Amino acid sequence: MSKPLEIMNLHKRFGGLVAVKDVSFKLQPGEVVGLLGPNGSGKTTVLNMISGALPCDGGTVRIGGTDITMMKPHKVAKHGVARTFQLVRPLPTLSVAENVQLSLAFGKKRHWGREARALAEEKLAFVGLEGRGDERVGNLTYIDQKRMEMARALASEPDLLLLDEWLAGLNPSELRIGIDLVQNLQGQGMTVLLVEHIMEAVRALCSRCIVMSAGEKIAEGPSAEVLQEPAVIKAYLGDDHA
Amino acid sequence: MNMKTLHGFALAGVAVVLLACAPLLISDYWTGVLLGMTGYVTLATAWALFSGPTRYISLATVAFFGVGAYTVAVLNEVMPYPLVLLCAAGIGMIMALMVGLSTLRLAGVYFVIFTFGLAELVRQTVSWWEVNVTYTMGRYIFLPFEGRHIYWQLLALAVVTFLISWAIGRSRFGLALKALGDDETVAAHAGVDVTRIKLLLFVISSTIITLVGAIQAPRWTYIEPSIVFNPTVSFMTLIMALLGGAMRLWGPLVGAVPLFLLFEWLSVSFPDHFSIILGLLFILIVFVMPNGVLAKIDDLRKGGRT
Ligand SMILES: Nc1ncnc2c1ncn2[C@@H]1O[C@H](COP(=O)(O)OP(=O)(O)O)[C@@H](O)[C@H]1O
Ligand SMILES: [Mg+2]
Repeated sequence: MSKPLEIMNLHKRFGGLVAVKDVSFKLQPGEVVGLLGPNGSGKTTVLNMISGALPCDGGTVRIGGTDITMMKPHKVAKHGVARTFQLVRPLPTLSVAENVQLSLAFGKKRHWGREARALAEEKLAFVGLEGRGDERVGNLTYIDQKRMEMARALASEPDLLLLDEWLAGLNPSELRIGIDLVQNLQGQGMTVLLVEHIMEAVRALCSRCIVMSAGEKIAEGPSAEVLQEPAVIKAYLGDDHA
Repeated sequence: MNMKTLHGFALAGVAVVLLACAPLLISDYWTGVLLGMTGYVTLATAWALFSGPTRYISLATVAFFGVGAYTVAVLNEVMPYPLVLLCAAGIGMIMALMVGLSTLRLAGVYFVIFTFGLAELVRQTVSWWEVNVTYTMGRYIFLPFEGRHIYWQLLALAVVTFLISWAIGRSRFGLALKALGDDETVAAHAGVDVTRIKLLLFVISSTIITLVGAIQAPRWTYIEPSIVFNPTVSFMTLIMALLGGAMRLWGPLVGAVPLFLLFEWLSVSFPDHFSIILGLLFILIVFVMPNGVLAKIDDLRKGGRT
Protein backbone atom coordinates (compact mmCIF):
# COMPACT_ATOMS: atom_id res chain seq x y z
CA MET A 1 0.00 0.00 0.00
CA SER A 2 3.03 2.28 0.17
CA LYS A 3 4.44 4.45 -2.55
CA PRO A 4 7.93 5.87 -3.01
CA LEU A 5 8.59 9.57 -2.42
CA GLU A 6 11.01 11.47 -4.62
CA ILE A 7 12.10 15.02 -3.96
CA MET A 8 14.30 16.90 -6.42
CA ASN A 9 16.01 20.26 -5.91
CA LEU A 10 13.41 21.61 -3.55
CA HIS A 11 13.79 25.33 -2.93
CA LYS A 12 12.09 27.84 -0.63
CA ARG A 13 12.74 31.48 0.17
CA PHE A 14 11.07 33.64 2.83
CA GLY A 15 11.93 37.17 1.75
CA GLY A 16 15.71 37.30 1.88
CA LEU A 17 16.06 34.06 3.83
CA VAL A 18 16.67 30.86 1.90
CA ALA A 19 14.95 28.34 4.15
CA VAL A 20 15.42 25.31 1.90
CA LYS A 21 18.14 25.14 -0.72
CA ASP A 22 18.32 22.49 -3.45
CA VAL A 23 17.28 19.58 -1.28
CA SER A 24 16.86 16.19 -2.98
CA PHE A 25 16.21 12.74 -1.54
CA LYS A 26 14.18 9.58 -2.08
CA LEU A 27 12.22 7.28 0.18
CA GLN A 28 11.56 3.70 -0.87
CA PRO A 29 8.18 2.13 -0.04
CA GLY A 30 8.12 0.87 3.53
CA GLU A 31 11.16 2.86 4.63
CA VAL A 32 11.24 4.88 7.85
CA VAL A 33 13.71 7.71 7.30
CA GLY A 34 14.79 10.38 9.77
CA LEU A 35 15.01 14.04 8.77
CA LEU A 36 17.41 15.66 11.21
CA GLY A 37 18.98 19.02 11.76
CA PRO A 38 19.22 21.87 14.28
CA ASN A 39 16.27 24.21 14.87
CA GLY A 40 15.61 26.48 11.93
CA SER A 41 17.42 24.26 9.45
CA GLY A 42 14.31 23.93 7.26
CA LYS A 43 12.84 20.53 8.20
CA THR A 44 9.29 21.70 8.80
CA THR A 45 9.48 23.78 5.63
CA VAL A 46 10.35 20.64 3.66
CA LEU A 47 7.36 18.83 5.16
CA ASN A 48 5.16 21.84 4.39
CA MET A 49 6.22 21.76 0.76
CA ILE A 50 5.65 18.01 0.42
CA SER A 51 2.19 18.26 1.98
CA GLY A 52 1.20 21.31 -0.06
CA ALA A 53 0.95 23.72 2.87
CA LEU A 54 3.56 25.97 1.25
CA PRO A 55 4.16 26.48 -2.47
CA CYS A 56 7.69 25.58 -3.62
CA ASP A 57 9.91 28.20 -5.24
CA GLY A 58 11.59 25.45 -7.21
CA GLY A 59 11.99 21.71 -7.51
CA THR A 60 9.59 18.78 -7.73
CA VAL A 61 7.85 16.39 -5.38
CA ARG A 62 6.70 13.03 -6.71
CA ILE A 63 4.75 10.38 -4.91
CA GLY A 64 4.56 7.00 -6.61
CA GLY A 65 5.40 8.63 -9.92
CA THR A 66 2.72 11.37 -9.65
CA ASP A 67 3.94 14.96 -9.63
CA ILE A 68 2.29 16.65 -6.63
CA THR A 69 4.58 19.69 -6.52
CA MET A 70 2.07 22.52 -6.78
CA MET A 71 -1.01 20.70 -5.51
CA LYS A 72 -3.21 22.13 -2.76
CA PRO A 73 -3.06 20.29 0.60
CA HIS A 74 -6.43 18.58 0.16
CA LYS A 75 -5.31 17.15 -3.20
CA VAL A 76 -2.01 15.99 -1.74
CA ALA A 77 -3.97 14.26 1.03
CA LYS A 78 -6.02 12.42 -1.59
CA HIS A 79 -2.79 11.30 -3.24
CA GLY A 80 -1.88 9.51 -0.05
CA VAL A 81 0.19 11.92 2.01
CA ALA A 82 -0.81 12.46 5.65
CA ARG A 83 0.93 14.50 8.31
CA THR A 84 1.02 15.52 11.93
CA PHE A 85 2.02 18.95 13.18
CA GLN A 86 5.01 20.06 15.20
CA LEU A 87 2.61 21.62 17.71
CA VAL A 88 -0.30 19.24 18.13
CA ARG A 89 -3.45 20.60 16.48
CA PRO A 90 -6.66 18.93 17.65
CA LEU A 91 -10.02 20.21 16.40
CA PRO A 92 -11.69 21.20 19.69
CA THR A 93 -15.28 21.50 18.42
CA LEU A 94 -15.18 17.89 17.27
CA SER A 95 -15.17 14.82 19.48
CA VAL A 96 -12.18 12.49 19.39
CA ALA A 97 -13.95 10.14 16.98
CA GLU A 98 -15.09 13.02 14.76
CA ASN A 99 -11.50 14.24 14.47
CA VAL A 100 -10.67 10.86 12.99
CA GLN A 101 -13.87 10.61 10.94
CA LEU A 102 -12.95 13.83 9.17
CA SER A 103 -9.98 12.11 7.51
CA LEU A 104 -12.07 9.02 6.84
CA ALA A 105 -14.70 11.12 5.06
CA PHE A 106 -12.29 13.21 3.01
CA GLY A 107 -9.24 11.00 2.61
CA LYS A 108 -8.65 8.61 -0.25
CA LYS A 109 -12.07 7.05 0.17
CA ARG A 110 -15.35 8.52 1.38
CA HIS A 111 -16.25 6.67 4.54
CA TRP A 112 -19.35 7.98 6.23
CA GLY A 113 -22.03 6.93 8.68
CA ARG A 114 -21.90 3.81 10.81
CA GLU A 115 -19.08 2.27 8.79
CA ALA A 116 -16.93 5.36 9.35
CA ARG A 117 -17.63 5.31 13.05
CA ALA A 118 -16.47 1.69 13.26
CA LEU A 119 -13.32 2.48 11.27
CA ALA A 120 -12.61 5.46 13.52
CA GLU A 121 -12.82 3.18 16.55
CA GLU A 122 -10.40 0.82 14.83
CA LYS A 123 -7.87 3.61 14.23
CA LEU A 124 -8.31 4.87 17.78
CA ALA A 125 -7.75 1.38 19.14
CA PHE A 126 -4.56 1.12 17.08
CA VAL A 127 -3.08 4.22 18.70
CA GLY A 128 -4.24 3.18 22.17
CA LEU A 129 -7.38 5.28 22.52
CA GLU A 130 -9.84 2.41 22.61
CA GLY A 131 -13.38 3.48 23.52
CA ARG A 132 -12.46 7.14 23.95
CA GLY A 133 -14.20 8.32 20.77
CA ASP A 134 -16.95 10.31 22.47
CA GLU A 135 -14.63 12.38 24.64
CA ARG A 136 -13.90 16.05 24.00
CA VAL A 137 -10.37 16.50 22.66
CA GLY A 138 -9.86 19.27 25.21
CA ASN A 139 -10.04 16.66 27.96
CA LEU A 140 -7.26 14.52 26.50
CA THR A 141 -3.77 14.60 27.95
CA TYR A 142 -0.90 15.76 25.78
CA ILE A 143 0.16 12.29 24.68
CA ASP A 144 -3.42 11.29 24.01
CA GLN A 145 -3.85 14.34 21.77
CA LYS A 146 -0.73 13.24 19.91
CA ARG A 147 -2.18 9.75 19.57
CA MET A 148 -5.43 11.19 18.28
CA GLU A 149 -3.53 13.24 15.74
CA MET A 150 -1.77 10.07 14.59
CA ALA A 151 -5.11 8.27 14.28
CA ARG A 152 -6.46 11.20 12.26
CA ALA A 153 -3.47 11.03 9.94
CA LEU A 154 -3.78 7.27 9.50
CA ALA A 155 -7.52 7.50 8.83
CA SER A 156 -6.98 8.97 5.38
CA GLU A 157 -5.21 5.70 4.50
CA PRO A 158 -1.93 7.32 3.50
CA ASP A 159 0.95 5.85 1.52
CA LEU A 160 3.34 8.28 3.14
CA LEU A 161 3.24 9.61 6.67
CA LEU A 162 5.03 12.84 7.61
CA LEU A 163 5.70 13.10 11.34
CA ASP A 164 6.96 16.48 12.55
CA GLU A 165 8.60 15.92 15.96
CA TRP A 166 5.71 13.70 16.86
CA LEU A 167 7.67 12.25 19.80
CA ALA A 168 8.76 15.60 21.25
CA GLY A 169 7.60 16.47 24.74
CA LEU A 170 6.87 12.92 25.86
CA ASN A 171 8.24 11.50 29.12
CA PRO A 172 10.44 8.38 28.92
CA SER A 173 7.64 5.83 29.32
CA GLU A 174 5.42 7.69 26.85
CA LEU A 175 8.35 7.85 24.46
CA ARG A 176 8.60 4.06 24.60
CA ILE A 177 4.89 3.81 23.71
CA GLY A 178 5.35 6.29 20.88
CA ILE A 179 8.32 4.44 19.42
CA ASP A 180 6.42 1.13 19.60
CA LEU A 181 3.54 2.72 17.72
CA VAL A 182 5.75 3.89 14.87
CA GLN A 183 7.38 0.45 14.82
CA ASN A 184 3.93 -1.10 14.41
CA LEU A 185 3.37 1.15 11.42
CA GLN A 186 6.71 0.13 10.05
CA GLY A 187 5.64 -3.49 10.45
CA GLN A 188 2.59 -2.73 8.32
CA GLY A 189 4.81 -1.41 5.56
CA MET A 190 4.07 2.31 5.96
CA THR A 191 6.56 4.78 4.47
CA VAL A 192 7.43 7.37 7.11
CA LEU A 193 9.46 10.58 6.99
CA LEU A 194 10.27 11.38 10.58
CA VAL A 195 11.52 14.78 11.72
CA GLU A 196 13.08 14.07 15.08
CA HIS A 197 15.53 15.40 17.65
CA ILE A 198 15.44 12.47 20.04
CA MET A 199 18.43 10.29 19.10
CA GLU A 200 17.08 7.26 20.96
CA ALA A 201 14.03 7.34 18.68
CA VAL A 202 16.09 7.91 15.55
CA ARG A 203 18.34 4.94 16.35
CA ALA A 204 15.38 2.70 17.14
CA LEU A 205 13.29 3.61 14.12
CA CYS A 206 15.30 4.92 11.22
CA SER A 207 17.45 2.76 9.02
CA ARG A 208 18.48 5.89 7.15
CA CYS A 209 18.85 9.55 7.99
CA ILE A 210 18.98 12.81 6.11
CA VAL A 211 20.59 15.74 7.89
CA MET A 212 19.91 19.40 7.10
CA SER A 213 21.71 22.51 8.23
CA ALA A 214 20.83 26.09 7.30
CA GLY A 215 18.48 24.91 4.55
CA GLU A 216 20.91 22.50 2.89
CA LYS A 217 21.21 18.75 2.99
CA ILE A 218 24.62 18.06 4.56
CA ALA A 219 24.51 14.30 5.00
CA GLU A 220 22.55 11.20 4.09
CA GLY A 221 23.03 7.50 4.81
CA PRO A 222 22.59 4.71 7.37
CA SER A 223 21.77 6.26 10.74
CA ALA A 224 24.73 4.89 12.66
CA GLU A 225 27.22 6.22 10.10
CA VAL A 226 25.57 9.59 9.47
CA LEU A 227 25.43 10.44 13.15
CA GLN A 228 29.24 10.00 13.36
CA GLU A 229 30.07 12.36 10.49
CA PRO A 230 32.05 15.44 11.54
CA ALA A 231 29.83 17.78 9.52
CA VAL A 232 26.76 16.49 11.34
CA ILE A 233 28.35 16.76 14.77
CA LYS A 234 29.50 20.24 13.88
CA ALA A 235 26.04 21.31 12.73
CA TYR A 236 24.45 20.05 15.92
CA LEU A 237 27.04 21.06 18.49
CA GLY A 238 29.05 23.89 16.94
CA ASP A 239 32.67 24.09 15.73
CA ASP A 240 34.38 23.20 19.01
CA HIS A 241 33.27 19.59 18.91
CA ALA A 242 34.11 18.84 15.30
CA MET B 1 -33.37 7.40 10.61
CA ASN B 2 -33.85 6.64 14.29
CA MET B 3 -36.91 7.11 16.51
CA LYS B 4 -35.74 10.43 17.88
CA THR B 5 -35.36 11.94 14.44
CA LEU B 6 -38.78 10.63 13.43
CA HIS B 7 -40.38 12.18 16.50
CA GLY B 8 -38.60 15.42 15.74
CA PHE B 9 -39.94 15.44 12.21
CA ALA B 10 -43.48 14.62 13.34
CA LEU B 11 -43.40 17.40 15.91
CA ALA B 12 -41.96 19.91 13.44
CA GLY B 13 -44.58 18.88 10.86
CA VAL B 14 -47.45 19.51 13.30
CA ALA B 15 -45.92 22.88 14.26
CA VAL B 16 -45.68 23.91 10.61
CA VAL B 17 -49.31 22.96 9.94
CA LEU B 18 -50.46 24.95 12.98
CA LEU B 19 -48.35 27.93 11.92
CA ALA B 20 -49.76 27.74 8.41
CA CYS B 21 -53.34 27.79 9.76
CA ALA B 22 -52.65 30.66 12.16
CA PRO B 23 -53.51 33.57 9.77
CA LEU B 24 -57.02 32.16 9.38
CA LEU B 25 -57.59 32.53 13.10
CA ILE B 26 -55.70 35.65 14.16
CA SER B 27 -55.97 39.33 13.28
CA ASP B 28 -54.06 40.95 10.44
CA TYR B 29 -51.86 42.72 12.95
CA TRP B 30 -50.66 39.46 14.45
CA THR B 31 -50.26 37.90 11.03
CA GLY B 32 -47.92 40.80 10.29
CA VAL B 33 -45.95 40.06 13.44
CA LEU B 34 -45.77 36.38 12.55
CA LEU B 35 -44.63 37.34 9.05
CA GLY B 36 -41.80 39.52 10.32
CA MET B 37 -40.78 36.86 12.81
CA THR B 38 -40.69 34.12 10.18
CA GLY B 39 -38.58 36.40 7.99
CA TYR B 40 -36.02 36.85 10.73
CA VAL B 41 -36.04 33.18 11.75
CA THR B 42 -35.19 32.35 8.14
CA LEU B 43 -32.55 35.07 7.90
CA ALA B 44 -30.89 33.98 11.14
CA THR B 45 -30.99 30.28 10.23
CA ALA B 46 -29.59 30.94 6.76
CA TRP B 47 -26.93 33.22 8.22
CA ALA B 48 -25.91 30.56 10.75
CA LEU B 49 -25.72 27.95 8.02
CA PHE B 50 -22.48 29.54 6.86
CA SER B 51 -21.31 31.77 9.70
CA GLY B 52 -22.06 29.36 12.56
CA PRO B 53 -19.59 26.58 11.87
CA THR B 54 -17.04 28.61 9.88
CA ARG B 55 -17.13 31.56 12.32
CA TYR B 56 -16.88 33.99 9.42
CA ILE B 57 -19.05 36.78 10.81
CA SER B 58 -20.87 38.26 7.84
CA LEU B 59 -22.50 41.69 7.89
CA ALA B 60 -23.49 41.38 4.24
CA THR B 61 -26.95 40.02 5.10
CA VAL B 62 -28.71 43.22 4.10
CA ALA B 63 -26.78 43.46 0.83
CA PHE B 64 -28.40 40.22 -0.34
CA PHE B 65 -31.72 40.94 1.34
CA GLY B 66 -31.91 44.35 -0.36
CA VAL B 67 -30.87 43.01 -3.74
CA GLY B 68 -33.69 40.46 -3.47
CA ALA B 69 -36.20 43.18 -2.66
CA TYR B 70 -34.95 45.41 -5.47
CA THR B 71 -35.10 42.62 -8.01
CA VAL B 72 -38.78 42.22 -7.25
CA ALA B 73 -39.34 45.98 -7.41
CA VAL B 74 -37.68 46.24 -10.82
CA LEU B 75 -39.06 43.09 -12.40
CA ASN B 76 -42.55 42.66 -10.90
CA GLU B 77 -44.24 44.44 -13.80
CA VAL B 78 -42.37 42.74 -16.63
CA MET B 79 -42.60 39.05 -15.77
CA PRO B 80 -44.72 36.59 -13.81
CA TYR B 81 -44.04 36.44 -10.09
CA PRO B 82 -42.50 32.93 -9.89
CA LEU B 83 -40.02 33.94 -12.57
CA VAL B 84 -39.20 37.10 -10.61
CA LEU B 85 -38.36 34.98 -7.57
CA LEU B 86 -36.20 32.73 -9.72
CA CYS B 87 -34.35 35.76 -11.07
CA ALA B 88 -33.83 37.08 -7.56
CA ALA B 89 -32.37 33.73 -6.48
CA GLY B 90 -30.12 33.69 -9.54
CA ILE B 91 -28.85 37.21 -8.96
CA GLY B 92 -28.23 36.46 -5.27
CA MET B 93 -26.34 33.33 -6.23
CA ILE B 94 -24.09 35.10 -8.75
CA MET B 95 -23.42 37.95 -6.37
CA ALA B 96 -22.55 35.46 -3.61
CA LEU B 97 -20.19 33.62 -5.94
CA MET B 98 -18.34 36.83 -6.80
CA VAL B 99 -18.21 38.05 -3.23
CA GLY B 100 -17.20 34.61 -2.00
CA LEU B 101 -14.41 34.18 -4.51
CA SER B 102 -12.94 37.55 -3.63
CA THR B 103 -13.36 37.52 0.15
CA LEU B 104 -13.29 34.04 1.59
CA ARG B 105 -9.51 34.25 1.72
CA LEU B 106 -9.85 37.08 4.22
CA ALA B 107 -9.73 35.98 7.81
CA GLY B 108 -11.39 37.22 10.98
CA VAL B 109 -12.02 40.91 11.34
CA TYR B 110 -11.07 41.71 7.74
CA PHE B 111 -13.97 39.60 6.53
CA VAL B 112 -16.36 41.37 8.92
CA ILE B 113 -15.24 44.79 7.70
CA PHE B 114 -15.37 43.78 4.07
CA THR B 115 -18.90 42.42 4.32
CA PHE B 116 -20.06 45.56 6.09
CA GLY B 117 -18.42 47.67 3.41
CA LEU B 118 -20.01 45.53 0.73
CA ALA B 119 -23.50 46.22 2.05
CA GLU B 120 -22.81 49.97 1.96
CA LEU B 121 -21.28 49.71 -1.51
CA VAL B 122 -24.33 47.89 -2.88
CA ARG B 123 -26.65 50.44 -1.32
CA GLN B 124 -24.69 53.40 -2.72
CA THR B 125 -24.48 51.79 -6.15
CA VAL B 126 -28.21 51.15 -6.29
CA SER B 127 -28.94 54.72 -5.11
CA TRP B 128 -26.57 56.18 -7.67
CA TRP B 129 -28.05 54.05 -10.45
CA GLU B 130 -31.61 55.02 -9.56
CA VAL B 131 -30.80 58.72 -9.37
CA ASN B 132 -28.51 59.02 -12.38
CA VAL B 133 -29.58 56.30 -14.79
CA THR B 134 -33.21 55.43 -14.21
CA TYR B 135 -34.20 58.80 -12.63
CA THR B 136 -36.28 57.12 -9.94
CA MET B 137 -36.01 57.87 -6.23
CA GLY B 138 -38.07 54.92 -5.15
CA ARG B 139 -40.20 52.20 -6.65
CA TYR B 140 -43.72 50.91 -6.18
CA ILE B 141 -44.50 47.23 -5.99
CA PHE B 142 -48.03 46.30 -6.94
CA LEU B 143 -48.55 42.62 -6.34
CA PRO B 144 -51.93 41.23 -5.28
CA PHE B 145 -50.58 39.83 -2.02
CA GLU B 146 -51.98 40.20 1.44
CA GLY B 147 -49.94 39.68 4.56
CA ARG B 148 -50.90 36.05 4.86
CA HIS B 149 -49.80 35.25 1.31
CA ILE B 150 -46.37 36.64 1.99
CA TYR B 151 -46.32 34.85 5.31
CA TRP B 152 -47.06 31.48 3.70
CA GLN B 153 -44.26 31.93 1.21
CA LEU B 154 -41.84 32.82 3.99
CA LEU B 155 -42.99 29.85 6.03
CA ALA B 156 -42.29 27.55 3.08
CA LEU B 157 -38.84 29.10 2.65
CA ALA B 158 -38.18 28.69 6.37
CA VAL B 159 -39.08 24.99 6.17
CA VAL B 160 -36.75 24.49 3.20
CA THR B 161 -33.98 26.36 5.02
CA PHE B 162 -34.33 24.13 8.08
CA LEU B 163 -34.29 21.00 5.92
CA ILE B 164 -31.12 22.16 4.15
CA SER B 165 -29.47 23.04 7.43
CA TRP B 166 -30.46 19.71 8.95
CA ALA B 167 -29.21 17.74 5.94
CA ILE B 168 -25.87 19.56 5.86
CA GLY B 169 -25.43 19.07 9.59
CA ARG B 170 -25.71 15.30 9.17
CA SER B 171 -23.54 15.07 6.08
CA ARG B 172 -19.77 14.90 5.82
CA PHE B 173 -19.85 18.54 4.71
CA GLY B 174 -21.26 19.47 8.10
CA LEU B 175 -18.28 17.82 9.75
CA ALA B 176 -15.90 19.54 7.33
CA LEU B 177 -17.47 22.92 8.11
CA LYS B 178 -17.06 22.46 11.84
CA ALA B 179 -13.48 21.31 11.29
CA LEU B 180 -12.49 24.26 9.15
CA GLY B 181 -14.08 26.60 11.69
CA ASP B 182 -11.61 25.17 14.21
CA ASP B 183 -8.52 25.03 12.00
CA GLU B 184 -8.52 25.43 8.23
CA THR B 185 -5.00 24.05 7.85
CA VAL B 186 -5.82 20.81 9.63
CA ALA B 187 -9.05 20.42 7.65
CA ALA B 188 -7.18 20.94 4.38
CA HIS B 189 -4.52 18.35 5.25
CA ALA B 190 -7.30 15.91 6.13
CA GLY B 191 -8.48 16.22 2.53
CA VAL B 192 -11.13 18.95 2.79
CA ASP B 193 -11.31 21.38 -0.14
CA VAL B 194 -11.67 24.30 2.22
CA THR B 195 -12.20 27.04 -0.37
CA ARG B 196 -14.86 25.16 -2.25
CA ILE B 197 -16.89 24.17 0.80
CA LYS B 198 -16.83 27.71 2.19
CA LEU B 199 -17.90 29.08 -1.16
CA LEU B 200 -20.69 26.54 -1.55
CA LEU B 201 -22.11 27.27 1.88
CA PHE B 202 -21.81 31.02 1.42
CA VAL B 203 -23.74 30.78 -1.84
CA ILE B 204 -26.51 28.63 -0.34
CA SER B 205 -26.85 30.91 2.66
CA SER B 206 -26.81 34.12 0.59
CA THR B 207 -29.34 32.81 -1.91
CA ILE B 208 -31.81 32.08 0.86
CA ILE B 209 -31.23 35.54 2.32
CA THR B 210 -31.84 37.10 -1.10
CA LEU B 211 -35.12 35.20 -1.36
CA VAL B 212 -36.26 36.46 2.04
CA GLY B 213 -35.79 40.01 0.75
CA ALA B 214 -37.58 39.20 -2.48
CA ILE B 215 -40.58 37.59 -0.80
CA GLN B 216 -40.92 40.36 1.78
CA ALA B 217 -40.66 43.17 -0.78
CA PRO B 218 -44.39 43.40 -1.66
CA ARG B 219 -45.03 44.08 2.01
CA TRP B 220 -43.61 47.61 1.66
CA THR B 221 -45.53 48.67 -1.50
CA TYR B 222 -43.00 51.50 -1.82
CA ILE B 223 -39.25 50.87 -1.49
CA GLU B 224 -36.08 52.89 -1.71
CA PRO B 225 -32.45 52.00 -0.93
CA SER B 226 -32.50 53.38 2.62
CA ILE B 227 -35.43 51.10 3.46
CA VAL B 228 -34.27 47.76 2.05
CA PHE B 229 -30.53 48.26 2.64
CA ASN B 230 -30.90 49.23 6.28
CA PRO B 231 -27.83 47.83 8.12
CA THR B 232 -29.99 47.09 11.16
CA VAL B 233 -31.19 43.99 9.31
CA SER B 234 -27.63 42.58 9.26
CA PHE B 235 -27.07 43.36 12.94
CA MET B 236 -30.39 41.95 14.09
CA THR B 237 -29.83 38.74 12.13
CA LEU B 238 -26.40 38.37 13.69
CA ILE B 239 -27.60 39.01 17.24
CA MET B 240 -30.50 36.58 16.89
CA ALA B 241 -28.28 33.78 15.62
CA LEU B 242 -25.68 34.41 18.32
CA LEU B 243 -28.26 34.59 21.12
CA GLY B 244 -29.72 31.21 20.29
CA GLY B 245 -26.41 29.67 19.23
CA ALA B 246 -25.21 29.69 15.64
CA MET B 247 -23.73 26.18 15.85
CA ARG B 248 -27.08 24.46 16.39
CA LEU B 249 -29.99 23.78 14.08
CA TRP B 250 -32.59 25.33 16.39
CA GLY B 251 -30.31 28.02 17.83
CA PRO B 252 -31.22 30.85 15.44
CA LEU B 253 -34.93 30.13 15.93
CA VAL B 254 -34.59 30.21 19.70
CA GLY B 255 -32.80 33.55 19.41
CA ALA B 256 -34.96 35.11 16.71
CA VAL B 257 -38.42 34.66 18.23
CA PRO B 258 -37.93 36.51 21.55
CA LEU B 259 -35.61 39.11 20.07
CA PHE B 260 -37.98 39.91 17.24
CA LEU B 261 -40.82 40.48 19.71
CA LEU B 262 -38.54 42.56 21.90
CA PHE B 263 -37.39 44.66 18.94
CA GLU B 264 -40.98 45.18 17.82
CA TRP B 265 -41.87 46.49 21.24
CA LEU B 266 -38.70 48.60 21.54
CA SER B 267 -39.07 50.21 18.13
CA VAL B 268 -42.62 51.23 19.01
CA SER B 269 -41.94 52.29 22.60
CA PHE B 270 -38.44 53.78 22.28
CA PRO B 271 -37.98 54.68 18.60
CA ASP B 272 -35.19 57.19 19.37
CA HIS B 273 -33.08 54.89 21.50
CA PHE B 274 -33.56 51.78 19.46
CA SER B 275 -30.00 51.54 18.05
CA ILE B 276 -28.37 52.18 21.43
CA ILE B 277 -30.43 49.44 23.04
CA LEU B 278 -29.60 47.16 20.13
CA GLY B 279 -25.88 47.80 20.62
CA LEU B 280 -26.03 47.21 24.36
CA LEU B 281 -27.91 43.97 23.86
CA PHE B 282 -25.34 42.85 21.38
CA ILE B 283 -22.47 43.43 23.80
CA LEU B 284 -24.39 41.70 26.58
CA ILE B 285 -25.01 38.59 24.49
CA VAL B 286 -21.42 38.32 23.29
CA PHE B 287 -20.06 38.63 26.82
CA VAL B 288 -22.56 36.60 28.80
CA MET B 289 -23.16 33.71 26.40
CA PRO B 290 -20.80 33.72 23.46
CA ASN B 291 -22.06 30.30 22.39
CA GLY B 292 -25.74 31.08 22.73
CA VAL B 293 -28.62 30.20 25.02
CA LEU B 294 -28.83 26.53 24.05
CA ALA B 295 -25.16 25.94 24.87
CA LYS B 296 -25.64 27.82 28.15
CA ILE B 297 -28.60 25.60 29.07
CA ASP B 298 -26.52 22.52 28.22
CA ASP B 299 -23.71 23.78 30.44
CA LEU B 300 -26.07 24.49 33.32
CA ARG B 301 -27.65 21.03 32.99
CA LYS B 302 -24.28 19.31 32.99
CA GLY B 303 -23.17 21.48 35.88
CA GLY B 304 -26.30 20.48 37.80
CA ARG B 305 -25.68 16.79 37.34
CA THR B 306 -22.06 16.58 38.42
N1 LIG C 1 6.06 30.86 7.08
C1 LIG C 1 7.31 31.35 7.27
N2 LIG C 1 7.59 32.65 7.02
C2 LIG C 1 8.83 33.14 7.19
N3 LIG C 1 9.86 32.42 7.61
C3 LIG C 1 9.66 31.12 7.90
C4 LIG C 1 8.37 30.52 7.74
N4 LIG C 1 8.46 29.21 8.08
C5 LIG C 1 9.74 29.01 8.44
N5 LIG C 1 10.47 30.14 8.33
C6 LIG C 1 11.90 30.26 8.59
O1 LIG C 1 12.57 29.28 7.82
C7 LIG C 1 13.61 28.70 8.54
C8 LIG C 1 13.41 27.21 8.63
O2 LIG C 1 12.32 26.96 9.50
P1 LIG C 1 11.75 25.50 9.80
O3 LIG C 1 11.53 24.82 8.52
O4 LIG C 1 10.58 25.67 10.69
O5 LIG C 1 12.94 24.83 10.59
P2 LIG C 1 12.97 23.50 11.45
O6 LIG C 1 11.68 22.80 11.31
O7 LIG C 1 14.13 22.73 10.89
O8 LIG C 1 13.25 23.92 12.86
C9 LIG C 1 13.65 29.40 9.90
O9 LIG C 1 14.61 30.42 9.86
C10 LIG C 1 12.26 29.98 10.03
O10 LIG C 1 12.28 31.14 10.80
MG1 LIG D 1 10.25 22.31 12.74
